[in-house]
Amino acid sequence: MTDPLQQESTTAKDLELESRPRQRFELEDTGFDEVPPRFRKFYRRWRGPGDQLAPNEVICPVCKVVIRSTRELRPGDRVYCMPCMSRLIVVRGEDGRLEARVAY
Amino acid sequence: MGNQEPGPQANRTLSEQDHFEVHDLAPEVFYEQVHSFEFWFQAVQGYLSGKVYGVDPNLSAPSLPDLDRDRLITVLCNYCVGETAALEGASGLIAIAPNRHTKIFLSTQVVDEGRHLEVFLHRLRLLDVADPEGEVERRASRSLLLFKRRLLELVNGKDWEAAIFAQNVILESLEFTVFQSHAREADPVTRDLLLGIVKDERRHIGFGENELGRRLQLAPHIRARLGQVKRELDHLVLDTLEETLLELGADPVEREKLGRAYLEAAARLGLET
Amino acid sequence: MADFLTAYSIQNWLESCPQGYLMGTVYGHRPEDEEPAPLLENEVLREEAIRTTVQLVVGERCALAASSGLINAAPDEASKRFLATQTLDEARHVEIFTQRLLDLGVPKKDLESTIQHFANPNLVKFAEVLLEKVDKKDFVAGVVGQNIVLEGMAFSVFEMLHAVSEPTNPKFARMLSGTIADERRHVGFGENRIGSLIKQYPERKADVEKLQKEMSYWMLATFADAFRNNPARAEFKRIEGELSRAGVHAEWQGVDLLTKDPEEMEQILADTVLKEFKTRLSRIGIEYQTPDRP
Repeated sequence: MTDPLQQESTTAKDLELESRPRQRFELEDTGFDEVPPRFRKFYRRWRGPGDQLAPNEVICPVCKVVIRSTRELRPGDRVYCMPCMSRLIVVRGEDGRLEARVAY
Repeated sequence: MGNQEPGPQANRTLSEQDHFEVHDLAPEVFYEQVHSFEFWFQAVQGYLSGKVYGVDPNLSAPSLPDLDRDRLITVLCNYCVGETAALEGASGLIAIAPNRHTKIFLSTQVVDEGRHLEVFLHRLRLLDVADPEGEVERRASRSLLLFKRRLLELVNGKDWEAAIFAQNVILESLEFTVFQSHAREADPVTRDLLLGIVKDERRHIGFGENELGRRLQLAPHIRARLGQVKRELDHLVLDTLEETLLELGADPVEREKLGRAYLEAAARLGLET
Repeated sequence: MADFLTAYSIQNWLESCPQGYLMGTVYGHRPEDEEPAPLLENEVLREEAIRTTVQLVVGERCALAASSGLINAAPDEASKRFLATQTLDEARHVEIFTQRLLDLGVPKKDLESTIQHFANPNLVKFAEVLLEKVDKKDFVAGVVGQNIVLEGMAFSVFEMLHAVSEPTNPKFARMLSGTIADERRHVGFGENRIGSLIKQYPERKADVEKLQKEMSYWMLATFADAFRNNPARAEFKRIEGELSRAGVHAEWQGVDLLTKDPEEMEQILADTVLKEFKTRLSRIGIEYQTPDRP
């Protein structure tokens, strides 16, 4: 079954993206200390309005931590926010940017 | 940003550790992991190691002007009321939790809440409050006491969904919002202990929202009952928020913004005002 | 009262437990330790290890329900905060002993049915007697039942299991030593806090003494099943003989447990626990009641 959140978010931009291989990212520990050490590099603090998200990052709407992946994120991807224990699906927001929505 | 865009080194052969991707975990493995004592244990080691009563021992408490000190005491006393409600609520919820993982997670929450109460009482002592528990009784907000009473009624009535909603969504969202706002303007000692508490609160609000979200999907009829609980508690929470923010000297724009932040969590669950 | 409770603060707990003796452990043991192969390969021993571990899970689940339930009944903030740490200790014990069941080969899907199957009915009865007091928010009886009777029993049982495991199963021995360290705080709190409450409410003595007698009976009945009626006694005897011949000893209470019959071990354990009850109860002004023998 296709996730309704994924359906809703598919745009021409996403179709074009799908034909390209995903970028890979090497993650470094940024000093985020709220999860066990082996998971720390997957999260970082949001530094406020001046902060920018990389293509492998999305903000958790529940606790506002930045979730990071080793690969570029695309609509339909599943990500986990360990600091607040949420499971999320990446969607394309109205402003064209990637957002995460909680999948209960 | 902390990320490195793929450059020449990105093509190197990655080790197994490099290939580990937390988001590839199966959902049941993820939940088992994050609700365990082991997870809590390693998480709090990250940010509580070396702290004494939640504060870096190298920080010293500044002496505050009388009015500021008095306002801070009132605010801390009400934090203690909220944390006592959370401690009693979370411990009561263990008995009615539906499975082992939930019971174990709530046990970690119980000790988090106990710690919060302890560090706030300790901060009151640093402010030369001779009898912190007596001071808490004297300065407790009426709205917050009413909220506490209603929360414990829901817990004692073994109403799992309503109690989790009141405790881990409403009360925790309120605390999460207020503590973050307060930390921005607080003295270094208060700020350090508040930031440590916010890290605990992330787990609590996330647990509540996800637990209820799953249940609402399986049994949407619960939504009406939770909406009723929300309507009943909203004014107590918003009154408490208003009183606290006034003591903290927040301006009307900030107060309105924080009120909205509190309501967002309920909105994500489909519980509009 | 306030002074003694300072020692039971969450700050102390953090320094001594997560930042102390549990540092570097995973599910209560060193990450590299495993259940010994001779245990996993011997079906009789493996089933006995599962049976024993199930009793620990049942006991710890009861302790978790009781300590969390007592928080709301506690008359002061400091006791609530201590019980918060105890709640988490008990949850940790549930988690590590449940994990041991998985390590012993119990499939995850069969976890609950395995616990149901092996849970000793006398131990379940023991738990029910205590939880009835907790449900009624009877703090004095609840703390005596939980922190003196249940924890006192667990303390001695863990010590005995530790003595047997130390030379044969370092993983289980490490799990037990961490658990014993936790139990020390629990029995200490029980004795200190109830001591002052009994002085305050002497009229509660009779009720508490009755509870101790009843819980002690179900405890002895559990021991009787575990030792006298144990289906694996012949295999135990054979292995104990082998270990003794190899010069392995398991000293506890001045005796080498590996040279004792199950009935003798039951006697040593029961006597140790009851003697401890008597001593502790007399210190807090409660008269020990001799239970019926099952």
